[in-house]
Amino acid sequence: MEKEVVLEVKNLKTHFISNKGTAKAVDGIDFVLRKGETLGIVGESGCGKSMTSLSILRLIPSPPGKIVDGQVLLKGQDLVKMSDEELRKIRGNRISMIFQEPMTSLNPVIPVGEQIAEALRLHQGLSKKQAWDRSVEMIGLVGIPSPEKRAKQEPFQLSGGMRQRIMIAMALACTPEVLIADEPTTALDVTIQAQILEIMKDLQKKIGMGIIFITHDLGVVAEMCDQVGVMYAGQIVEHQEAKNLFNNPLHPYTQGLIGSLPKLYEDQEELQIIEGTVPSPYDYPEGCRFAERCPFAQDICIQKQPNLIQFDENSKVRCWKYSDEWQDSLAKEVVAP
Amino acid sequence: MFLFILKRLVQIVPVILGVTLVVFLIMQMVPGDPAVIMAGEGASKETINELREDLGLNRPLHEQYLSYIGNVFQGDLGNSLKNNQPVMDEIMVRLPITMELAFFSIMITIVLGLIAGIISAVRPYSFSDISVMVVALIGISLPSFWLGLLLMYVFSVKLQWLPVAGWDSTAHIILPAITLGAGGAAIVARMTRSSMLEVVGQDYIRTAKAKGLKGHVIIYKHALRNALIPVITVVGLQFGSLLGGTVLVESVFAINGIGRMIVDSIRTRDIPMVQGGVLVASLVFVFVNLLVDVMYRVFNKRIDLN
Amino acid sequence: MTINSAEVESVNLILARKKLRREKWKTFFSSIGKNKAAVVGGVIILLYISLTFLAPILAPYDPYEINLQDKLQSPSLAHWMGTDDKGRDILSRILYGSRLSLGVGFSSVAFGAFFGIVLGLIAGYYGKWVDTIISRCLDVMLAFPGILLALAIISALGPSLINVTIAVGVFSIPLFARIVRGSTMEVKKLEYIDAIRTLGANDFIIIFRHILPNILSPIIVQGSLRLATAILSAAGLSFLGLGAQPPSPEWGAMLSSGRDFIFSAPYMAIFPGLMIAILVLGFNLFGDGLRDALDPRSKK
Repeated sequence: MEKEVVLEVKNLKTHFISNKGTAKAVDGIDFVLRKGETLGIVGESGCGKSMTSLSILRLIPSPPGKIVDGQVLLKGQDLVKMSDEELRKIRGNRISMIFQEPMTSLNPVIPVGEQIAEALRLHQGLSKKQAWDRSVEMIGLVGIPSPEKRAKQEPFQLSGGMRQRIMIAMALACTPEVLIADEPTTALDVTIQAQILEIMKDLQKKIGMGIIFITHDLGVVAEMCDQVGVMYAGQIVEHQEAKNLFNNPLHPYTQGLIGSLPKLYEDQEELQIIEGTVPSPYDYPEGCRFAERCPFAQDICIQKQPNLIQFDENSKVRCWKYSDEWQDSLAKEVVAP
Repeated sequence: MFLFILKRLVQIVPVILGVTLVVFLIMQMVPGDPAVIMAGEGASKETINELREDLGLNRPLHEQYLSYIGNVFQGDLGNSLKNNQPVMDEIMVRLPITMELAFFSIMITIVLGLIAGIISAVRPYSFSDISVMVVALIGISLPSFWLGLLLMYVFSVKLQWLPVAGWDSTAHIILPAITLGAGGAAIVARMTRSSMLEVVGQDYIRTAKAKGLKGHVIIYKHALRNALIPVITVVGLQFGSLLGGTVLVESVFAINGIGRMIVDSIRTRDIPMVQGGVLVASLVFVFVNLLVDVMYRVFNKRIDLN
Repeated sequence: MTINSAEVESVNLILARKKLRREKWKTFFSSIGKNKAAVVGGVIILLYISLTFLAPILAPYDPYEINLQDKLQSPSLAHWMGTDDKGRDILSRILYGSRLSLGVGFSSVAFGAFFGIVLGLIAGYYGKWVDTIISRCLDVMLAFPGILLALAIISALGPSLINVTIAVGVFSIPLFARIVRGSTMEVKKLEYIDAIRTLGANDFIIIFRHILPNILSPIIVQGSLRLATAILSAAGLSFLGLGAQPPSPEWGAMLSSGRDFIFSAPYMAIFPGLMIAILVLGFNLFGDGLRDALDPRSKK
C-alpha cells in the first residue's frame, strides 16, 4: 500500500538568461514526494539542487531566472501556473522552506518569537496573543530551553544551532505538508548537526509532513532519507531507495561518489576521485552529460542523451548501460577490427 | 545605555574645548583693535587704553583664553562691538528662529528623502527609480542660494502665492525650509535607495518571502527597519550642513536668525558677535550629533556586545 | 664590456614592472570609460576647463566694460544672456568667471587634499597617541557645522577670493584626513606591508611608495566629490560678499548682485547659478561614476 503523494514535480526546467548566455540550471527534473517520507536530493555544488528547491516555491531571482517548463503539483494544484496571491498563501503554510545559513536567514532587528508569530497570524488567522503563545510553544518544541525568554530575543543573541532550530520552528509553525530543507546542517558543527537532524525526524513523525532534503553529504542522506535522487548537471541521474543506494549504486556517477567515501573497514592507500569536472550549465554536451568523466562511456553515450528509465520497481537511472541499446553498442565494438 | 551616554559626554568635552579654542584663536587673528572700534571715531588715547584695560586686552593670551572660557560657561559671550549689548541676548532672540527653520528643514529632508528613496528602491531601474535618482543628483548640485532665489522668483514674484521674505507667519517658513531641506533630501534619498537595495538582497528577505508574507509587509517591516540604520547617521551629518546652510538661506530670505547674524557681524567686524554665533551653532551641532549617536545605538543594539 | 646575467635579470624585472604599471593604468581608464556617469561628468568638466582657456576668444565683450545706457537688457541676439545693472554683458562675465570658480575649486581642494592626506597617513600609520591627537583635532574641525569654520576663518582674514580659497581648503582637510586614515589603517594590516618591512624599508618609503598608491582610489573619488562641494561653498561665500569683490565676474558674486534685481531682471541671477549647478553636477557625476567603477563591490 503506497502512501499518498503530496508533491509531484514533472519535467521542471529553470533557466537563467543573461548576456553570458542561457544557463540551464534545472533541466528536466521529475520526482514524487509521499506523505511522511523524506526524499534526499544529492549532488555536488552547481548541479542545480538548490535551484530546484527554490523553483518549487518560485523563489528564483526573477530577472535572470525563469521557470520555463514543467509542473509542480501540490496535491494536484500546479504551483508554477498559480497566481502570486495563491502562491503566497501556500508559502510558509502548506510548503515551508529552511535555508543553509542560519546566521543570515533571520531578520537581525526583529525578535525571533515575532518572526514565528507573524506567519501564524497571517496563515492561521490567530490573534496576537494566540500567535505569540503558539510561537513560544514551537520554540520549546524544537528543544530550546526557556522559550518565553528566548522568544523576545534577537537573532544575534542566539548561537548558530539555536538559530537553525528557530528556522525549523518558524517553518513548522503552520504544520505544512511539505518541508524543503536546503542544506540545513552544512553550516553547523557536526555535533549540532546531529541534534538538528534528530529534531527534524522527531517533528516529522509528529506532524507527518514530507521532507525534501537537499544536501551534498552522503552521510546525512544515509541517516535521514527514505528515497534519494542523485542530481548531476541539472538532471536526475538516479533515483533509488536510500538503503539500496549505498549497497548498489547504479549510475557511474553515484558509483564514483560512493566509491570516493573513505571506508572505515578497508585499508585504502588513496581516496578515489572522479576525474574531470562538471560541464558548464551554459554549454551542456549533446549526449550524456557525464560521458566525459565516465569510465564506461561508449559512442552512444557521447551522441545521445539517455532518458530516466525504470530499472526495477523502486529505482530509476539515466544511463545507457541499463538500456537495451547497450548490448548492441558493445557488440559493434567487438565486430569492428 | 546610560553608561554609554556618560562616556560620550566625557568624550565631547575636549571637542567643545577645542571648538572654543579655535574660535578664540581665530578671533585673535582679526586685524584691528577691538577697543578702537568700540571707542568709536575720534576717541582719545586715554579712552582707548582704558577700554583695553576693561576688556582685558593687555593680558597674556592664555589668561585671556581662560577668562573667555570662564565667561562662556557662565553664559557671558561678551558684548557686541556695535551697540555694546550682550551677545548672549541677541543670540537668545535669534536662536529659536534658526532652530525653527532647521527643524522644518530637517523634516522636509527626512520625509521627502525617505519617500523618494523608498519609491526608487522598490522598483529598481524602473522609470520612477531613474527619474527620482536624476532629480536627486540635480538636487545635490544646486547651490542653495540659487534655489532659494529661483523659488522666490517663481512663487513670490510671479505667482505671488507666498511672501517674499521675513518670518512672520507660517507661510514664511515654506520657501526657506524647502530651500534648506532640498539638498539633504536628495542625499537621504540616495542613501535610502542604496541601503534598501543592499538589504533586499539579503537572505532574511528571502526567508520572509518563503514564509508567504505580503509584499508591503516585507518592505516596511522587514527591509526598511534594517535599511534605515545607516540612514540615521547620514541625517545626523546632514544636520550639520543644514546649520551651515542657514547662513545662506537666512540671507536670501532676510530671516533674522543666527546665520544672518554671523554674516552681518563679519561684515561689520563685530568680533564678539561672530565668536558667539559660531560657538553656539557649533555646540548645538555637537549635541545633536550626540543625540544621533544615541539613537543609532537604540536602533542597532548589536553594538552593545562589541 | 660584457653584460652579466644579473644585470639582464634586473633590467627584465624593471621592464616587467613598468609593463604591469602601464596595464594597471589601462584597466583603470577603461573601467572609468565604461561608466556612463563618469564619462558624462568628465565631459562636462573638460568643457568647463576649456572655457577657462578659451574665454578671451569666445567672449564677445569685455567683462568689465561698463555701459550704463545698455543696462538691464533681457537676453537678445546682441547679448545672449542679457546685461547686468551696469550694462556689462553677462555672457562674457560668465565665461571669465569660469576661471575664478575652477581656480578656487581646484586650489582649495588641492590645499585640503595635501594636508589632509599627510595628516591621514601619519595618523593611520603611526596610530596610538599620534592618531589620538590628530583625530581629536579633526573632530574639532568637524564639529563646526557646514561652512561655519570657513566663515570664521574669513572673518579673521578678511573678505577676498584668496581667503575664501584658504578657508574652503582648510575646511576640506578633515574629510580627506578621515578617509586616508581609515584606508591607511586597513592597508597597514595587510601582510605584504610586514613583508616589505622585514626587507628593511623604512617608514617613509613604506608610507609613500607602498601604502599611498594603494589608497589612491578613494582619494580620487573623494577629491571629485569634494570639488563639487568646494565650488558650491566658495560661490556661497562670494554670494555673501565675503569672497570675490565687485567688479569681479565670479559667479557667486554675480548672483549676489543679481538678487537685488530679481524682480526686473531675473536672468542676472539665473545664468550664474545655472553655470555653478552644471559644473557641480559634472563633478558629482564624475565622482559617482568613479566610485562605481573603482569599487569592487559594485553590482552594476
